[in-house]
Amino acid sequence: MNVLHSLLRGKERKNNLILMLLALSIFIAMTILSPRAFLRPANLKGMAVQFPEFGILSFGMMIAMISGGIDLSLVGIANLSSIVAAVIMLQMGDSVLSIVLGILGALAIGAACGVFNGFLIGYLKIPAMLVTLCGLQLYSGLGLAITKGPAITGLPERYGEIANGSLIAGIPNPVFVFLAVAIAVGYLMRSTVYGSHVSFMGTNEVAAKYSGINNLKVTIYTYLISGLMGSIGGILISSHYNSAKSDYGKSYTLLTLLIVVLGGTDPSGGKGNILGVSLAVIVLQMISSAFNILRINSFVKTFVWGLILIAIMLISKLIDRKERR
Amino acid sequence: MRSNIAKLATTNEAIVAYTIVALSMAIGIINPAFREFSTVITLSRAMLITLIFAVLQMMVIVSGGIDVSFPAIACFSSYATLRLMLSFDIDSVFFFYAVAGLMGVCFGLGNAFLIAKMELPALIATLGVSSVANGATLAFLGTREYSNIPEGVDQLSRSFLFSFTNSGGITFQMTSLILIPLILLVLAYLLLHHTMLGRGIYAIGGDRFAARIAGFNVIRIQFFIYMVAGFLASVGGVTFTILMRQGSPQNLMGSEMMVIAAVVVGGTRITGGHGTVFGTLLGVLLIAIVQNNLIMVGVPTHFQSFVVGLIIVLGTGITSIRAKRVANSSKV
Repeated sequence: MNVLHSLLRGKERKNNLILMLLALSIFIAMTILSPRAFLRPANLKGMAVQFPEFGILSFGMMIAMISGGIDLSLVGIANLSSIVAAVIMLQMGDSVLSIVLGILGALAIGAACGVFNGFLIGYLKIPAMLVTLCGLQLYSGLGLAITKGPAITGLPERYGEIANGSLIAGIPNPVFVFLAVAIAVGYLMRSTVYGSHVSFMGTNEVAAKYSGINNLKVTIYTYLISGLMGSIGGILISSHYNSAKSDYGKSYTLLTLLIVVLGGTDPSGGKGNILGVSLAVIVLQMISSAFNILRINSFVKTFVWGLILIAIMLISKLIDRKERR
Repeated sequence: MRSNIAKLATTNEAIVAYTIVALSMAIGIINPAFREFSTVITLSRAMLITLIFAVLQMMVIVSGGIDVSFPAIACFSSYATLRLMLSFDIDSVFFFYAVAGLMGVCFGLGNAFLIAKMELPALIATLGVSSVANGATLAFLGTREYSNIPEGVDQLSRSFLFSFTNSGGITFQMTSLILIPLILLVLAYLLLHHTMLGRGIYAIGGDRFAARIAGFNVIRIQFFIYMVAGFLASVGGVTFTILMRQGSPQNLMGSEMMVIAAVVVGGTRITGGHGTVFGTLLGVLLIAIVQNNLIMVGVPTHFQSFVVGLIIVLGTGITSIRAKRVANSSKV
C-alpha cells in the first residue's frame, strides 16, 4: 500500500486514480454485459498479446513528449526494424543464433533511426513534429524498398513464439516484455540524471541550456530511446503475425498519441509518468476489445478515438485554467 | 543593386527553382519523352489537388499552426454532399461546392475553437478532428465508392482548356479545373500581401504576443484561417471527386504528408511567420516532378516513397541550416 502511495503522488495521483477507476468500471461493465465473450481465455489472451505492442510504442512517444517534442515516426521505425530482422533471419536460417542476431539487428536499426531523428531535431533545430513526420515517410519508404510491397513471411517458428508463446503460468510473453520495459523506462525517468534532464529540457529549453544541460546530447538520447521502443514494438508486432511488412500498425500513431495524452503527459513537454501511460494503455485495450465484442463497426473506433482525444485535451485544459485562477 | 541580384539569386525560391531545372534537365536527358509539351499537361493534372491543399496548408503554417485534418475534411464533405446529391437527384456544380464548402467551414470552426479558444496544440487538435471526420465518414456514411456522378457535374471533368497531340499521336488535354488552384494562388497572394488581415497572419505566426500588442485580434485571425482552411479542404475534395469522376470516402487520406512536405520544401518555415505563395507553387512542382518521373528515369516504384522522404529531409535540412546560419550571423 505504501508503494502504491509513493507511486501515486501529487497531481498525477488524481489522473491515475481516475484511469484506474475507468479501467475497473469498463472491466465490470463488460463482465456484466457479456461475461462469456469478455472473460473467455482467448479474448484475455488476445488482449495480453496486443496491448504490449502499442503500449511499448506509447512509452517511446511519452519520452519524446516529455522532452518537449513528439515522435510520429515510431510506427515507421517499428516496421523498418522488423523488416531488417526478418531479412537477417531469412538469410541465417532457422536457429537461435539467427533469431538473436535478427533482434539485435532490429534494435540497432531502431537506435540508428532514433539518433538520426535526434540529430536533426537537436543539431539542425528542425521541429520534432516535422522531422518525425518525414521520418515516418523515410523509414516506411525504406521498408517498402526492401520488401518491394508484400509481407516477408516464412520466419522461424520460434520467432513467432516470442509474442504468441508463454513461458510462465500461461501468461503471454509480451506482458512480461511490457512490464520489463515499463520498469526500465520508469527507472530511467525517475531515478537517473538523464530522466530529470529530459523533463527540465521539456519544461524550458532555454533555461535548461543555461543551467548547463547539454540539450543536444539529451535530445539525441531521448530519440535513441524512443527509437529502441519503436524497434521493440516492431519485434512484438512481427512476431505476433510471424511476418514483416512496411504498413503494419498504421493506426498506432494516433492511438499512441491518445494513450500518452490520456496518461497525463503534458503535450507541451516537461511532465509525464509511466504509471499513467501504462494505465491508459490498459484502458484503451479494454475499450478496444469491448468494441470488438459488442460487434461495433471498427470505423466507429476511429471516430471514438478522435472524440476521446479531443475530450481529454479539453478537460485537462479546463482543469488547468481553473487551477490557475 | 548587385547585392539585390545576389540576394534574389540565393533566396529559398531560387534554390528550389535551380533544383527543379537541374532535375528536369537530368530527367530530360535520360528520357526524351519528358521533353515534350505533354509533360506540362500531365504535371498540371498531378499538381492540381496538391496545389489547392498546399495553399491552405501554407496559410495555416504561416500563422504558426498546422492542419493535418484537411484530407479527412475533404473526404467527409465531398462524400457526404455527393451522397446527398445522388439521393435527392440534385445535379448542380454550385450545390456541390457550396454545401461541401459549408461542411468544411464547420469542421474548420471546430479546429479553430480547439486551437484558438482552447489553446490546444494545433497538431494534436487537428489529428483528433481528422480521426473524428474520417471515422464518421466510414462508419456513418459508408464505404462504397460512387462512380455515377450526376451528369451536369460530370461534364466539368470533360471540359478542357486546350489539347495537344504529341508526335506519337496521343492527345493530351488540359482540364479546365486547373483554373481553380490558379485562382486560389492569386487570391492567396492578394490576401497575404495586400490586406491587413494577411499581414496579421504573418504577424501572429511570427510572434503571437507581439501581434496582439500591435493590435491584431489573434483569435479572430486564427478563426478566419482555420475556417478558410476547412473551406479549401472541401473545395479540394470536391474537385478531386470531379477530376477522378469517382466519390470515395478515403482516397485522399494520407496525402497530408506530401502536402506539408511540398509547403516546407517551398520555403515556408514550419515554425510560422515565413512563407510565400510562389515558393509553395515551386515546392508542389518539385514534389510532383519527383513523384511522377522517378519511373521515367528507371527508379522502381517501391523506392518512390523512400526517395520522396529523402528529398523532404534534405529540403528541410537545407532550409534550417540556412536559417541557423542567418541566426548565427552578426546582425548589423
